Amino acid sequence: MTLAADTRSVDPVRQRTLSKFATSDIVFYNLTRAAAVLVLVVLVGVAISLINGSLPALQTFGFSFLWTEKWNPVTEQFGALAPIYGTVVTSIIAMIIAIPVGIGIAVFLTELCPRPLRRPIGIAVELLAGIPSIIYGIWGLFVFAPFLQHTLQPFLIGTFKYVPGLSSVFAGPPYGIGVLTAGLILAIMVLPFISSITRDVFLTVPPMLKESAYGLGMTTWEVTSRITLPYTRVAVVGGVMLALGRALGETMAVTFVIGNAHRITPSVLAPGTTISASIANEFTEATGDLYTSSLFALGLVLFVITFIVLACARLMLARMKRRAGA
Amino acid sequence: MASYAARRGTNGVMMTLCTAAAVFGLIWLAIILIELFWRGFSGLSVDVFTKMTPPPGSDGGLLNAIAGSLLMTVIAVAVGTPIGILAGTYMAEYGRHHRLSMVVRFINDILLSAPSIIVGLFVYEMLVVTLGHFSGIAGAAALAILVLPVVVRTTEDMLLLVPDALREAGTAIGAPRWVVIRSVAYKAARAGMITGVLLAIARISGETAPLLFTALNNQFWSLNLDAPMASLPVTIFQFALSPYESWQNLAWTGALIITLAVLALSIIARVFGSQKESS
Amino acid sequence: MTAQSSILTAPTSIAIPGTRLNTREPKVEVKDLSFFYGSSKALKNISLTLPERAVTAFIGPSGCGKSTLLRTFNRIYELYPNQRAEGEIRVDGNNILDRSQDLNLLRAKVGMVFQKPTPFPMSIYDNIAFGIRLYEKLSRSELDERVQRALTRAALWDEVKDKLNASGLSLSGGQQQRLCIARTVAVRPEVILLDEPASALDPISTAKIEELIDELKTEYTIAIVTHNMQQAARVSDLTAFMYLGELIEFGETTSLFQAPREKRTQDYITGRFG
Repeated sequence: MTLAADTRSVDPVRQRTLSKFATSDIVFYNLTRAAAVLVLVVLVGVAISLINGSLPALQTFGFSFLWTEKWNPVTEQFGALAPIYGTVVTSIIAMIIAIPVGIGIAVFLTELCPRPLRRPIGIAVELLAGIPSIIYGIWGLFVFAPFLQHTLQPFLIGTFKYVPGLSSVFAGPPYGIGVLTAGLILAIMVLPFISSITRDVFLTVPPMLKESAYGLGMTTWEVTSRITLPYTRVAVVGGVMLALGRALGETMAVTFVIGNAHRITPSVLAPGTTISASIANEFTEATGDLYTSSLFALGLVLFVITFIVLACARLMLARMKRRAGA
Repeated sequence: MASYAARRGTNGVMMTLCTAAAVFGLIWLAIILIELFWRGFSGLSVDVFTKMTPPPGSDGGLLNAIAGSLLMTVIAVAVGTPIGILAGTYMAEYGRHHRLSMVVRFINDILLSAPSIIVGLFVYEMLVVTLGHFSGIAGAAALAILVLPVVVRTTEDMLLLVPDALREAGTAIGAPRWVVIRSVAYKAARAGMITGVLLAIARISGETAPLLFTALNNQFWSLNLDAPMASLPVTIFQFALSPYESWQNLAWTGALIITLAVLALSIIARVFGSQKESS
Repeated sequence: MTAQSSILTAPTSIAIPGTRLNTREPKVEVKDLSFFYGSSKALKNISLTLPERAVTAFIGPSGCGKSTLLRTFNRIYELYPNQRAEGEIRVDGNNILDRSQDLNLLRAKVGMVFQKPTPFPMSIYDNIAFGIRLYEKLSRSELDERVQRALTRAALWDEVKDKLNASGLSLSGGQQQRLCIARTVAVRPEVILLDEPASALDPISTAKIEELIDELKTEYTIAIVTHNMQQAARVSDLTAFMYLGELIEFGETTSLFQAPREKRTQDYITGRFG
């Protein structure tokens, strides 16, 4: 029997309803699909607009843009090396501090903290991870930088004055603002982020696994270092890279305190700049196409760096998720 | 294996270090909040909510900045949320097993944590250059792009938590797929999806970088979307870096307002999220 | 088609030896049906016929394909990729596996109740009204009446009449399952598929469901999958025993349980495997 026979047996009202269903389902399907594609379009659009915007600069300077330090708006000479250097150094400082402290907090929250406090502290850490970066920036400018200027920085300069190598790392007058300050602010900012993500990952360790380790007479530290960390290694690294992605692209927390100086000095106490700080500080004041275009080129560099870091992070986290799901 | 005493010693040292890390980290965060509240509260007055941003050196409020922020946030959410929900719906429902969903999921996760200043550059190129001037609509567009990945992610996650049995039941009654999604899946995932939108609002309410060269700033009262528009974060940025004390104080107060708003949103989102299990 | 299944069913009329039901019209005719999950074959050339207004039970050890078979009758498997059916399933003579079959229409005609109760996240009233509203534009009072009738039919009305606006999720497991049956009945299907409807329920709720099935068969053609042989014996008129994706034996319930023709059937119903 054919469909025609089938449809004849259906009353016309129902038939109309059915065709309406079919149409609306197709419409809704295509709407959702278009929205999903739009997400891709946004990213591709970002990439294209960055490339497009940086073309004049790249055509003028070529790849040497990447390793030229000079940044002179008057003579229209632009190079990305100083901001790239500042971005990398501030992020390194931030990660050196935030990784151990952040993981320490996660261990504290999953193993040591008295049970009634675990949830409130955990929630507090998560809430702090959501505080906008401009808050860290304003605090850094008004409170933290002057504090460092009078305490940590003179101490570092004094301590390492006669140590070869380190004397130049900690050289110069204590400005307060500078690369080190920016790195420290970044560390404080990504700290709750690393802690909460690591804690979440630690919580995925099956309790049975930990219980059997404790059953063997392992100490808390041994369980953490030999069971929890190896089990969650990939995801912890993924979470750390996510935090690194944040630190690399962070704008406001850094812009306030880095000093915006396009130069590379060995001293971390000297003012410097990062990619995002340069863009934030100079974009609206940039005169001339080449200047604007050079800032776009900086944005493109940042985009490429963070894309790679974030892609690695997501792949690692996805691997962990698959394993947890299996 | 080392002797028991040595192992216990190591354990003691490491656990002390972890506790110290927690204390150390939490102290800094506490200091920031205390400082913020202390400095922000002293400037908090009715004027802040009723007066415009002042010229250098005189007193005023943040009314135009708050209004601008609210307006751009509302538009960004109104645009970003439906698109995000639709995209998340595709990934969790129609396209769950398609390759497109995997690609979109990956890209969306990258957008989720991509530097927001890059989004600002994108919108600058797309809207500011084409329109020829900075505008509130460009600021709203930049914020909408930041809302999008948050909503996509939570929508997908929440819909995936809806049991397939419920979808089968809806389908088995003769409902077409989109009715099942709308009336059954969305209803079951509603709390989580609202949480996602609230988190997205929390995220954009403090965003500064993407507004710097899209909406720019405006010292005067303006709700004209085709003109530069003031926003709280950009005003804070500008005022904090100024040499005038009255501006700096307003920056602190603005920072406090943003923080309170973000904390309130996150807490409401959390309450919403946890209600889900009990209902 | 295997030799065995051709004995069990004739293509057009119902021919089950020695059954009182041979006067009934065939409602669902399955011919040479195979089912695939990806490349693995879960159903192997099944052929059988469900008579109108009778209860047909499907039994067999887990993984035998009984649920899979049930899920082909309303093509619910279409929700998932890589699942497909080959062969013919005729409902009232129309091959529902035909590409041009409207799936929503099919599912309105062939209702299904699942293993775990699946109330929609809405009020009790809306759970029932949801399906009705899809295809019919009724006045408020007509809708109220339909909802009441469906709930009465599912023996739930007295328990919920005072809390129709309460969430469907607030009911007990047994009540939820009867709500799901009421929801299915409300859209006036002709066939009802029950996929282990009582397996998640306590004995008292199970008894209520079984009573209900007995009543519903006066109006509907019912197919029930169950892992509980006593249940199959209690509620069904016909029983199909399946094993490893094949239909081993199909016949009147009393004769299948009392005098199975196949050794594997006998082994299973006497508890030697499964």
